[in-house]
Amino acid sequence: MPRILVADDSETILLLMRTRLELAGYEVETASDGQEVTDRIHAGAPDQHPDLLLLDAMMPRKSGIEAVRELRAAGVETPVLIVSAHQNAADADAPTELEVSGFVTKPIDFDRLLSEIAELTR
Amino acid sequence: MSPSLANRLRIGFAIGFAILTAMAVIGVGRFIQQRQDFEDSIASSYQVEMAARARLAEGQGSAKDRAIVHRQGRHRTELRDQISGDTQDTALLVAAGLIAGLTGALLLFSGLISSMRRPLEQLVDAAGRLAAGDRSARVEIGGLAETAALGAAFNEMADELEREASQRDQLDRLKDEFVLTASHELRSPLTSVQGFAELLMLERDSLTPRQVETVEIILENCRHLVRLLNDLLDLARSDAGRLAIVPRPTDLAPLIEETVRTMRGQTDADRQTVTVRIEPDLPQISGEADRVRQILVNLLTNAHDYSPEGASIDVSARAVGAEVEIAVSDDGPGIPESQLQQIFERFVRGDAGLTQRVGGTGLGLAIAKSLVELHGGTIGVESTPGQGSTFRFRLPVAAAGADPGQTIAEAR
Repeated sequence: MPRILVADDSETILLLMRTRLELAGYEVETASDGQEVTDRIHAGAPDQHPDLLLLDAMMPRKSGIEAVRELRAAGVETPVLIVSAHQNAADADAPTELEVSGFVTKPIDFDRLLSEIAELTR
Repeated sequence: MSPSLANRLRIGFAIGFAILTAMAVIGVGRFIQQRQDFEDSIASSYQVEMAARARLAEGQGSAKDRAIVHRQGRHRTELRDQISGDTQDTALLVAAGLIAGLTGALLLFSGLISSMRRPLEQLVDAAGRLAAGDRSARVEIGGLAETAALGAAFNEMADELEREASQRDQLDRLKDEFVLTASHELRSPLTSVQGFAELLMLERDSLTPRQVETVEIILENCRHLVRLLNDLLDLARSDAGRLAIVPRPTDLAPLIEETVRTMRGQTDADRQTVTVRIEPDLPQISGEADRVRQILVNLLTNAHDYSPEGASIDVSARAVGAEVEIAVSDDGPGIPESQLQQIFERFVRGDAGLTQRVGGTGLGLAIAKSLVELHGGTIGVESTPGQGSTFRFRLPVAAAGADPGQTIAEAR
């Protein structure tokens, strides 16, 4: 069962994500900011890394975008989806060379998100 | 303090008048004096000669008297020569004075004209630049008091305009930022509302029909809010000059067919028929496919929303010169003349739309207009109340061998 680490500073969004993803059969871990994400990944051995990271673009302490940049610099290749209020990388002020698998726009179209996740964790 | 034009003229006239008068008085005075001296000298010369002649006639004369007669004749000839020379000199003096006075007056006037010309030319130039939108257009203040006052008044007016314009710019920026931020901030709670409502619908089997209906209303309103947020975001971007397109040579026919197909669900539900007529060999247009589709969707949604059940909607495309014209017609209620002017303004909606449906945001046409204009095209509408409306927009034909994919940001 693929494991997904979801990070968002809103408890409500985390609850929604957890519920939808668990209903779809994924194992879900949550974090409330990018710092927690990078800490947890650095703490675990590579074979313990989640199969996918679903990160909010804007979070206090460390944003999803900063977290991805840090992980990629540390050689972590886990696929990442960035959740953002914006429609694309340019609007989210994300660097275009940021190595992510895609951007998810709020409000989230879960049918589309679930099929994208299925593709990335296959 | 700058000298005034009136003072300069007054001083100029006074000096000119004084010089000319002085020249005339001196000239005439000298002439009279010379004449007088001449008459006196001639008269005394005759007297001396006459006395000498009288002595000779009486036989008392000597060789000395004969010499006097001879000398006086010569002396008078000399006097006549001298007076004519003096008169000539005086006339020359007066003439020279007149010429000097007139030259002075000419120099004075040309000086005045050139000292007015520069400030006036500057003023004309600056006014033209200000009218053309150059808010920094100012004039140098100087020259005569009148032109200096005019220049100062112009600069003051330009300062005021610039102040007002920069305040307006700042307010616009704040408004754009506010709309951008608000539409982003609203997305998170909206995600939760829509997400949890969808979660409920996943378990619709355990809900009562009334609960299902309730959740459907929540979801429908969430979708409406999303449309509104997306539209507001597009308009705010367009206002902030952040809306950009990447025009490429694009085939319209498949784009139109596909857009009409995606609208089928809605038009079929109201038994509306959509006819597509595309001229054969239609040239490619220069545009961004997604944005052109958005224009079409907005116009088609309008035609659908404002037309009754069973209405006919007609979509056509044809080449007109270096442009392609796309028209979307309906046989709906039409738009009253009084609303036709403002129909492309945001939140302006035809009466029918308010009463019949809740679908629209009132922003569709405003967005269509700014997107068409971003492509360098034009959009317009014709309508006959009771018979229907036709929206037409034109997009430029792609130039052969044009450099594709160059970003056009909206000009502000």
